[in-house]
This record gives sequence, structure tokens and C-alpha cells, in this order.
Amino acid sequence: MPRQPRALGRLRVSSKARGERSVLDDLYQSGASKALLPRVSGRALTAVSLNTAGGITGGDRFDATISAGENSRLTMTTQAAERIYRAQPGEIGRMSTRLSVADGARIDWLPQETILFDHCAFERRLSAEITGNGRLLLVEPVLAGRRASREEVRTARFSDHYEIRRDGELVFADATRLTGDVAGHLDERFIAGGARAFASVVYVADDAESFLAPLKELMPERGGVSLIRPGVLFARLLAADGYLLRQSLVPVIERLQDAPIPRTWTI
Amino acid sequence: MGTVAPIRMSTDTPDVMLTLAQWFSPAFPIGAFSFSHGLESLVETDEIRAAEDVEAWLNSVLNYGAGRNDVILMAASFRASSTEEIKEVDALARALSPSKERLLETEVQGEAFIRTINEVWGSDLPPLCYPVAIGASARTCGMPLHETACMYLHALTSSLVSAAIRIVPLGQTEGQSIVRTLAPLCDQLGSTYIDESLEAIGSSSFIGDIASMTHEDQYSRMFRS
Repeated sequence: MPRQPRALGRLRVSSKARGERSVLDDLYQSGASKALLPRVSGRALTAVSLNTAGGITGGDRFDATISAGENSRLTMTTQAAERIYRAQPGEIGRMSTRLSVADGARIDWLPQETILFDHCAFERRLSAEITGNGRLLLVEPVLAGRRASREEVRTARFSDHYEIRRDGELVFADATRLTGDVAGHLDERFIAGGARAFASVVYVADDAESFLAPLKELMPERGGVSLIRPGVLFARLLAADGYLLRQSLVPVIERLQDAPIPRTWTI
Repeated sequence: MGTVAPIRMSTDTPDVMLTLAQWFSPAFPIGAFSFSHGLESLVETDEIRAAEDVEAWLNSVLNYGAGRNDVILMAASFRASSTEEIKEVDALARALSPSKERLLETEVQGEAFIRTINEVWGSDLPPLCYPVAIGASARTCGMPLHETACMYLHALTSSLVSAAIRIVPLGQTEGQSIVRTLAPLCDQLGSTYIDESLEAIGSSSFIGDIASMTHEDQYSRMFRS
């Protein structure tokens, strides 16, 4: 079988403070990665990333470096859900993201859903470095198939790694791994109890503890939140499908962001 | 940073089997009896009511949760070539804890384990969380990794079955049937995952993670996790 052409994408976005607002400091985009900078109100710079290849398959490679300079605030989201399509045997799509939050800065990493299709193979890594009293909000919703279309993931390989360092110290790590019959696995009672949608929410900031009680109120039936250690708040949410996941996830994001959800989420 | 103390295979130590039996005995003072790994929360919500539920839950914990990851972390700690490297594995192990109580569970047991190993075996290991403490101790005391990993998984299973006997509740015999059923799995996972690198770390025990979070707010609790 001929090898599929590979999609490559590189993106670099950084923000800097200018007075009370945050503005673009540097933008580099190549290959299938693009970033749009819509005008929005508020003090944050919002960047919307876009995969012009229309999805990710085996052999694709996407790298992003996102930085918020001192006292600036950068919100990153995506134009659409990211579709992870069938990969040729032995080929893996990869995405690698580095976030860097300077002292007094904040990054809100709010991509829309990653949708896994049957026969996909995808490895994703995100590492974040926070300096001083920088703040980071990280939200990653993942859907296994699309329940409305009755698409199930019966064979796949997905791994998702997160590492967050604060002043050099590793304060949070999460590694999700799904291989083989993902739908069957998620049906197991003590894995996901039939859920096809899940999300991780991580908020690392000096004021993390003040969000613990409000988030507990917002958790769905199958969701939990914990202040794992001072300054590190983590929530896991499960839902039957993407629609229900959004219903519980959007209020959580809005509470942590102290702002409405990025507009791309709502259109 | 210093290097790891040389492996001490002195002839006056009891053999491997008896040393590991001691380390993983419920009498070894790490306080395992006070942690339920989220089980208490699953009992509270009626998701676990009988022996078959406990067995299914333990299957998920061992295959797709802490069981698998702990063996990988233990192996990385065992193979570490310096104290600095052990501390890096330790930082990763702590950071992977999905909730406050799961972090407490691994820290309290690990620190108690190291304290006893240092006192009794005369080692000088730093405080480490539980799987990393076991890996470093096995290396320092000349215990083989494979047997150590299998015994650890078996001890984890036994300890959680004991918790289940108290709170589900289960009969003692039912509990021992579960341990016996899961013993081959402990052996298989111990053999498989000691050869994996830290790159293979990963879990999918979402329900178990959430249970350990909601346990924080449980009104009536016997366990610290």
C-alpha cells in the first residue's frame, strides 16, 4: 500500500503585556498549522489554531510552542474539533506541545475536542513550564468515536502525556493510554462505565484552592475534582458523549477562566 | 549527587523469598490497612456490593491503573544509576497521583517503608513514595526485580481485599478466593512491566481516579483514601 503523504505543522505563538492588555509578541506558522488572531474584548490575547490538513493520521507530526511573556495572558483554542483518522499499519500521528508561562502571566489552553476514529494511532505530549506566580489552565476533552453517528473505536492506539513544572519542579503529570478495543474497554465498569467522552482539567496557580469548592458543585455524576497539592487542582469528567461532556465542562471552564468560553466553542 | 549504594549480596542475609515475605507482610509497618485506594467511595455509591465487583475492580486497578504504573516506576527506580535519578522517578510517581488522597497513600506508605528499610537493613535511602521506595530498596538490598514486583502486586491485592472484607463486607474465604484468582495476573503483570521504560507509563482507570476524588467528601470514612 502506498504511504500516505504526511502532514507537518509547526506553530509558535507568544504574547507580551502592553499596558493592561496582551498583544502578539511572535507568530510563526508553517505547513498545516495556522493561527488566527480574532479581535476579542478583555485583556487576554486569543489565538485560534487551525489544522489545514483537516485532521491527523499516521505519520503526521504537529509541534507547537506557546509562550506567555511576563504579565501577559494568552488564550489558545482551536477552530474545530481535531479528528484523528485511521492510520496505516505501523504509522503513528504525533503532536507535541510546549507551553511556557512567565512570572505574572497566564495561559488558558482550551482546545476543542479531540475525536478518535477507528484504527487511529496517535501520541500526544504536552509539557508546560510555569515561572513564579504564572498561572496555567489546561483542558483536554477527548471523544472515542462519535456516538451520534454510531461510530465506535474498535481498534486504536492513543497515548496522551502531560507534564507540568513550576519553577523547575514537576508538580503534575498525567498519562492516559488506550489501546486495542477502546469502546469495549471504556464499557468496563471500573474504567469508564460506558462513557465515550472524557476530559481532564488542570489548573495550576497560587489561588487554585479557592476553586475547589465551586468546582465540586459543578461536577457531573461521573466526575471528580481534587486539590492534589497546594496550587494544583485536577478534575476528571466522564460523559456518555461529546454533547453531554460539554454541558458539564463549559461551566467548569468559565468558572476557572472567569470569562466566557472562547467563541469558537459556541459556533 | 551520590551514586546508589552497591548491591549488597552478603551471605548473612536471609534468602530472597524470606526477605520479600517480610517486606510485603501485612505486619511490615507501612500502614497499608488505612488506605482503600478509592474502594470505600465505590462501596458508598453501591458500585461495589459483592465479591465479583471487588474482583472486577481489582482487575482494573492492576491492569490499567496503579498496578501497572507502579511496576514501571519500581523498575525505573531499581535501575536508576544515581540518587538524583531515583529522585526524578520519585517526582514523576508523585506527580502522577490523580488526587490528594492517592498522593497521601503513596507518600505515607513509601516513607514508612524507607524508614524501616533504613533502620533494619542499614541503608541510607531518602524518603520516597511507595513503588519508588520498593525499587530502590530492592536494588540496595540485592532483591531480584521480578520477584519483588510480583510480590508487591500480590501484597497490593491482598491489602485491598482486606479493606473489602471490612467494608463491602465480604467473608474471609471469599476474600481469599479473590486473591487466589488474581495471583496469576500479579505474576504476569510483574513479568511484563518490569521491562518497560517510563515512556510506557499510562492508565485508563478513570472511574477509580474519580472515586479517589469523591472519597474526600465522604461523610463516614474508615480509610484515608
